Amino acid sequence: MNELSKTMAAAASGMVAQSARMRLTSENIANADTPGYRRKIVSFEEMVQNATDGRVVATGPVQLDQTELQSVYDPNHPMAGEDGYYDSSNVNLMLEIADSREASRSYEANLRMFDQARQMAGSLLNLLRR
Amino acid sequence: MDLNLNILRLASTLAAHSTARQAIVTENVAQADTPGYRARDIDAFSETLASGSVFIPQVTRAGHMTFGADPRGFGSQELAAFGAETPNGNSVSLEDQMMRSAESRQTYDLALGVYQKTMDILRISIGRNR
Repeated sequence: MNELSKTMAAAASGMVAQSARMRLTSENIANADTPGYRRKIVSFEEMVQNATDGRVVATGPVQLDQTELQSVYDPNHPMAGEDGYYDSSNVNLMLEIADSREASRSYEANLRMFDQARQMAGSLLNLLRR
Repeated sequence: MDLNLNILRLASTLAAHSTARQAIVTENVAQADTPGYRARDIDAFSETLASGSVFIPQVTRAGHMTFGADPRGFGSQELAAFGAETPNGNSVSLEDQMMRSAESRQTYDLALGVYQKTMDILRISIGRNR
């Protein structure tokens, strides 16, 4: 049973990490047109909580993507400079959508693992019930 | 009364082995997007039985078969990359892990089935209905 609860802890940590990644992707997409916005990215790290809990995944610190901001020509924009250009965000929608797809795929895989551990624990308890 | 049934010990060891395997597969899935993480898998059950270090033989007569290993003694090792190596050094293939998880589920069900059947036979032998 201990191994099974370790399994569920690892799967749950995976789901937490993937949903954090999904949240950042949504924030990036929502701010795709915010002038001066830099896309937020997060990296995953392996973490040992304590000896009995096994290894889980955790999100690292949120970082800002340091690539160049897109220059957009719009002389009527309130933030436009004298040449008519202003700095938009550096969000690439295609990249964000691919990232969120990957996050949701990994989330589902974790969920599947969690469910399987739950079923295994259930059949073990069934054996005791007889 | 100590029946000391080796088949029960073998079945419970197999169940422990498959839960340990399930734990390690789940860990791999949780770390599927962690840079630099290498997928691992547990040593095969047959190897666990064959290796002397974790093997507890309980033999009282020459004809006895020896089964049973220490469930805490399962070693694990890195998997050979399954064509899934990504540029960030992660070698987890979700499809491969799903297959391994299904395998461990099958052996777990097998172990519980054998255990249950043995208990049924014992119950019949003492004249009780199942």
